[in-house]
Amino acid sequence: MINELMIIIFAPLLAGVLAWIFDVKGIREGVAIIGAAVPLAYLIQAYQTLASQPSIQYSIVLSGFKFEFILYHLSWVFAMIAGVVGFAAVLGMVSTAKDSYEWLFALMSLTGVYGVFLADDLISFFIFWEIMTFASFMMVLKYNRKASLKYFLLSVLGAYAMLIAIGIIYAKVGAFDFTSVQRVFYQDAMRSVMGSDTLFSRNELLLIFGLFLTAFGVKAGTFPLHVWAPDAYSETNQSYTAMFSGVLSKAGVYGMLVIYILLGTRLMYEFGNIGAAPKFGYVIAFLGGITIIVGGLLAALQEDIRKLFAYSSISQIGYILVGIGVGTALSIEAAIYHAISHALFKGLFFLIVATIIHRTGKTQFKDMGGLAEKMPVTFAMAFVAILSLAGIPPLVGFASKWLIFEAVIHQNMPILGGMLFFGSAIGFVYLIRFTYAVWFGQRPTELDDTKDAPLPLAIAMGILALLNVVFGIAPGIVAGELNKIFGKEIIQGTIWELNLGFGRYNGLFITIWLVVGILIAAVIYFLGAKVRRVPVTDTYQAGNPVTMDYNLTIRRNFFLPLKETLAFWLRMSFDRLYQDIGSWVEDLAETLRHYIYNGNVQAYAWYLAAILIILALWGV
Amino acid sequence: MMVIETALKALLILLYATFVGFMFMGIIRIVTARIHRRVGPPIYQPILDTIKLLSKKSSITHGLIYDFGIIYALGATILALMFIPLGGVSILRAYGDLILITFLLEIPMLGIMFAAMSSGNPWAGLGAQRALLTLLAIQVPLGFAIVALGEFYGTFSTYQIVMAQQSMGWSITSLPLLLAAVAYDLVLQAMFGKEPFDIMIAPGEISLGPMVEFGGKHMGILQIQHAIALFAETLFFSNIFLGGAVITAFASPIINTLATLVVLLIKQTAVLMVAIFIGAIFPRFTIDQAARFYWKWPTIIAAAGAILAAL
Repeated sequence: MINELMIIIFAPLLAGVLAWIFDVKGIREGVAIIGAAVPLAYLIQAYQTLASQPSIQYSIVLSGFKFEFILYHLSWVFAMIAGVVGFAAVLGMVSTAKDSYEWLFALMSLTGVYGVFLADDLISFFIFWEIMTFASFMMVLKYNRKASLKYFLLSVLGAYAMLIAIGIIYAKVGAFDFTSVQRVFYQDAMRSVMGSDTLFSRNELLLIFGLFLTAFGVKAGTFPLHVWAPDAYSETNQSYTAMFSGVLSKAGVYGMLVIYILLGTRLMYEFGNIGAAPKFGYVIAFLGGITIIVGGLLAALQEDIRKLFAYSSISQIGYILVGIGVGTALSIEAAIYHAISHALFKGLFFLIVATIIHRTGKTQFKDMGGLAEKMPVTFAMAFVAILSLAGIPPLVGFASKWLIFEAVIHQNMPILGGMLFFGSAIGFVYLIRFTYAVWFGQRPTELDDTKDAPLPLAIAMGILALLNVVFGIAPGIVAGELNKIFGKEIIQGTIWELNLGFGRYNGLFITIWLVVGILIAAVIYFLGAKVRRVPVTDTYQAGNPVTMDYNLTIRRNFFLPLKETLAFWLRMSFDRLYQDIGSWVEDLAETLRHYIYNGNVQAYAWYLAAILIILALWGV
Repeated sequence: MMVIETALKALLILLYATFVGFMFMGIIRIVTARIHRRVGPPIYQPILDTIKLLSKKSSITHGLIYDFGIIYALGATILALMFIPLGGVSILRAYGDLILITFLLEIPMLGIMFAAMSSGNPWAGLGAQRALLTLLAIQVPLGFAIVALGEFYGTFSTYQIVMAQQSMGWSITSLPLLLAAVAYDLVLQAMFGKEPFDIMIAPGEISLGPMVEFGGKHMGILQIQHAIALFAETLFFSNIFLGGAVITAFASPIINTLATLVVLLIKQTAVLMVAIFIGAIFPRFTIDQAARFYWKWPTIIAAAGAILAAL
């Protein structure tokens, strides 16, 4: 009997391999869908089990290493994100995947991400982390070598950081499993409170924290390690990006939570609190705040639809990091809630982008326009996604954002609060840019026979859009699951209502009164005269006739004034900084090759002699 | 019975808000005219305009979104109104969360933007761009002002803030919230779309921007929306900074309610007058000037308020 956790983790990989071997159109799609559906089904089933027992555990011993896996409430929530969004992305890929190569690596990365969420020791965590990174790297490599290398380089940086941190921990603790590590750090915290010697010194602790922060920051796309994300997210199959941005980035978020689980107590006692929030979390929260602003502003200035959403993804992850960083039970719940809603709406957005690119073959805003008439279903989905991301009640994006706002401001953190507000406005800004350039205005004639979304994509979008609405109107469903993680009622209320004691939000009332308001407005509207439909060229142009010969819709540089206002800040770029460092290193290597490694054997003999003399003088 | 009572109450609030909103629009025109040394139209002129617009015999549309955006804008404004405490009579004041109302007051704009952009008129696109950049500019001081309030009172319930002010005195009597109020009032100028921050509609330059295509009943609905929004925004400001009003001095609940409404009305009118005076005096800012302005002084003032409130 194979354990259910193993099935959840390896079913996608198995399906991927099968799809890769039986490279027949039709079969491979079917296998892949089953491969993505099986873990989801098992996860839903596991919900019943988790109601009666705190966790499901499983461990295997391979060549002396014990690999441990655990499914409890926290990992269940994250695994469900992977399950639902991963399934939707796989459905989307049925329409957009070109060959079996994509199926193999897309499903492999799903296995990787399940493994990360279910791992209960540092070695499994690291191995699955690398599987996930490798598979997503292969997905980018196929589309764009340069983008994939950038992703690879930063991922390697993250991987080394994590490996070193794990090494340091193992050297002192002598075990890899989370329980032992957590216990040791907890005892350490107690020891430091008592004033006795600790196993990990303050500096070692700081080093481990920094290394983990780098490792997870890369994956989450935290400023200033975000530079890989815009390229990698955009230079791959966009249906896959729904998973890439929706789920894989959550591994970074989950990693931040692992920091709390493993090191939290020790860090908190060692560095103290600001108010009720831990000081070390402040680092995460502030990086998150900056990520919101940088990601959002850059998103508004993009000319490529994929890049816009890639930057927007970075910006939204910033919210999650702020929530995690503030570090109260409420703010962490809020952050996980936002992780869920981010996966839902960003998954939906990338499927919409996939549809648009699949149907039009264009990626630049300047080539698009007026598609709302041609793709009504996709536009309806986009409407839901826009409202959700912009944080319009009663959609899920508002519920989670509201929680983060309240959690942060209630902890008396004014600057972070200001950053959050700025982030929500910048969200409006880049979404309207997307809306205007893609859906409205004059349509280029070559897009006149664009068709609506293919069925699998439409179903995938439908699933995500429905969840966006349901979890927004009934936010208590999610809040109930989140409360189980902490084992107490942190967010009170019914399934319609979130009640924090100092603030209340009721999704149902909002829905009812919005409907009432719209009905009143509709009555006024329908009492008026009948309307006559006019074409897009029949608009007021101060007497000038508008023709389709030239396109008057502003598609390029839509936010030019913003660009001008920010000109000073835009000159700074971490991406360029890294590139410059890269080219310095190349130049340096070139210089070395010229003068030192010049291929002359005599020269090398001289180096050897010189080193020997130096060593001799040194007294070795 | 509960449902009917609530519905009746909601209808009365809605009618009152619409009426007062239109009066505000009339006041804006008269006061501006007097500052310009003109006579100005009668106070009920906006109502006449709206009736004229709604009874136009021919109307054009640019498609479903064009119609729905307008309806959505009015619907969302009505929604926002229901959450703001109006003395003792508001419907959903228990859920009148600061953050929620701040967001709700911004959503109608989204509906208008959608409708305007779907028309395909370049002026509308330009107007939408400017409106959004204005929103981006005001959001920073606005955010800090809300943060200051949330921190100072330790609650996000607008109604509880109103009640706290009944015993502690108006918000603006404490320094952090006075700073927040100043910043919020500057923000209000842009929310009303008054000079110097009326670049998004810029009459005479981009032909009213987002509004350029609307006529007939669409414009009529937008007039109603504007009236209710004026009422809601001034009401929100009076509630959170100027003490709101909860009068219980009289024996009869009806007189109490009326007295509350009168007190609120005076405060709302005062807020409006400040906006009119600023609007009548200053010329229009360009969009980058507006952004630089808001990101400088109002932000500094509001952030100072928020930090003081946090201490």
